[in-house]
Amino acid sequence: MASQSSSRLLKLALPLVKTHGFTREALSRSVLTLPSNEQHAEPLSDSAITALFGRGDFARRTLIDAWLEDGLAHMASESSDANGGATPAKKATIRDVLRARLKYNEPVLAHLPDAFGLMASSGFHVVDPLPVLEHAARIADRACYTTGDRSLQLEWYAKRASVAAVYAAAELHQLTSPHTTYAFLDSLLDSTSNIKATLGEVGLYSEYVFKSWKGIIKSSGILPL
Amino acid sequence: MQTLNRSNRCLKLRSIQSLVRLNHTKSTSNTPLEDSHSARTTSFGFRTVPEDLKESLVKNVFDSVASKYDLMNDATSFGVHRLWKDTLVSSLRPGRRGPMKCIDVGGGTGDIALRILDYAKDNHYDRETTVEVVDINAQMLKEGYKRFKQTMYHNTPQISFHEANAQDLGSEKFKDNSYDLYTIAFCIRNCTDISAVLKEAHRVLKPGGTFACLEFSRVSNPLLETLYDQYSFTVIPMMGTILAGDRDSYQYLVESIRKFPPQPQFAQMIRDVGFTTGKDVDGGAWVNQWGGIACIHTGVKL
Repeated sequence: MASQSSSRLLKLALPLVKTHGFTREALSRSVLTLPSNEQHAEPLSDSAITALFGRGDFARRTLIDAWLEDGLAHMASESSDANGGATPAKKATIRDVLRARLKYNEPVLAHLPDAFGLMASSGFHVVDPLPVLEHAARIADRACYTTGDRSLQLEWYAKRASVAAVYAAAELHQLTSPHTTYAFLDSLLDSTSNIKATLGEVGLYSEYVFKSWKGIIKSSGILPL
Repeated sequence: MQTLNRSNRCLKLRSIQSLVRLNHTKSTSNTPLEDSHSARTTSFGFRTVPEDLKESLVKNVFDSVASKYDLMNDATSFGVHRLWKDTLVSSLRPGRRGPMKCIDVGGGTGDIALRILDYAKDNHYDRETTVEVVDINAQMLKEGYKRFKQTMYHNTPQISFHEANAQDLGSEKFKDNSYDLYTIAFCIRNCTDISAVLKEAHRVLKPGGTFACLEFSRVSNPLLETLYDQYSFTVIPMMGTILAGDRDSYQYLVESIRKFPPQPQFAQMIRDVGFTTGKDVDGGAWVNQWGGIACIHTGVKL
């Protein structure tokens, strides 16, 4: 029950990120948006924020995590909306899902560098890129899941790695040049599919060369038939 | 003369403890009257005592240790209790968003109150934050009052001392929804009914107000736990004998720590009275100090 209450406040704080950023202030003001019968007269005190969400930047990290989690849910819902409630036969594409996720970034774009900076800071004045990479990997995994990707074994990893790389690059581009983000995403996805096709052709050709050489060696009598 | 008084207090405490042992022995018999009596018992250290007797027993313990309380705390914890109290207050950051109305329950000697006022003044230029120190024990309040005479807060509206029971502060004097911050440090384990204390805390706090409790708790590391047990059951009572001339009171203080509910259980008790807490992990609903020797529990009245 108690954790439900703090999760509820986190949810209420998400729309406030647009105006207050990923700050303790956004968390403290969440109580002002409770339904009228539960509404507080003033924002929560700093000690209350610490009690509920942790000290200093821990509270901000909690808010960032909640925002990222909400972004994953948003991807699925937005992509199905974009398809007008797509039927199972007409599932959303990777392009739709990634576009939806980038669109989710738009209202808080000004605060994202700060959020990624906080995610990458380990507290020992050392940059830790893992949380940011993990963020891209989770989005890639959710995109593949939403689009019904059925890759197996090595291809499963390869697909997610390529989607994560595309998304990470597009998001980075979005931070510096928001107006060209979607065109950039499209170009990345197109070149990725070109690379994949090229790699596929290279694989096929290599297999052909290998089989040919094997046939020549066998016919020459070096290998048993 | 003082030594004589202290000896008298110790004798009184020991005689009551003998009575307690007698009562406890009696309560194991099967007569219906004694069964109903034993149904309303509580722990007093490792002993089980009738609920209505615990309050006077605890009062005797603190009457006995009041004058040497801070000295003994320093001696037994090597001054670490000061760090824990500093951590409690700095984590609450009183005065950061303007003056706060605080109540410090069981804070007779004024340790927490002084830290709250100093923190608000030094960090946020706040001389409007107020602390009401509440204690059931007049001797402890007297020590606190004496200490505050040495500070700039003496005779200002920033500090006041009140004798009251944490389980029932009294709605006349301590009104509903009136405080921003409720602190209770190293006190709640001595109360007969912990839930009643928590309910009172919830009652007096404003919506959005914070409850913070610093208390000894459970050590999670087995090696540290063994060392800590050895130290607390042998060294602390011995120091009580040497420095305060009172072994029994310190033996009780050590035993009462072991009887206090572990972190997740106490966090649940806090939620049961209506507070909202963080997650049930170290750094969430509670923050362990020194591996759990002490622990800061927090909750918010929403």
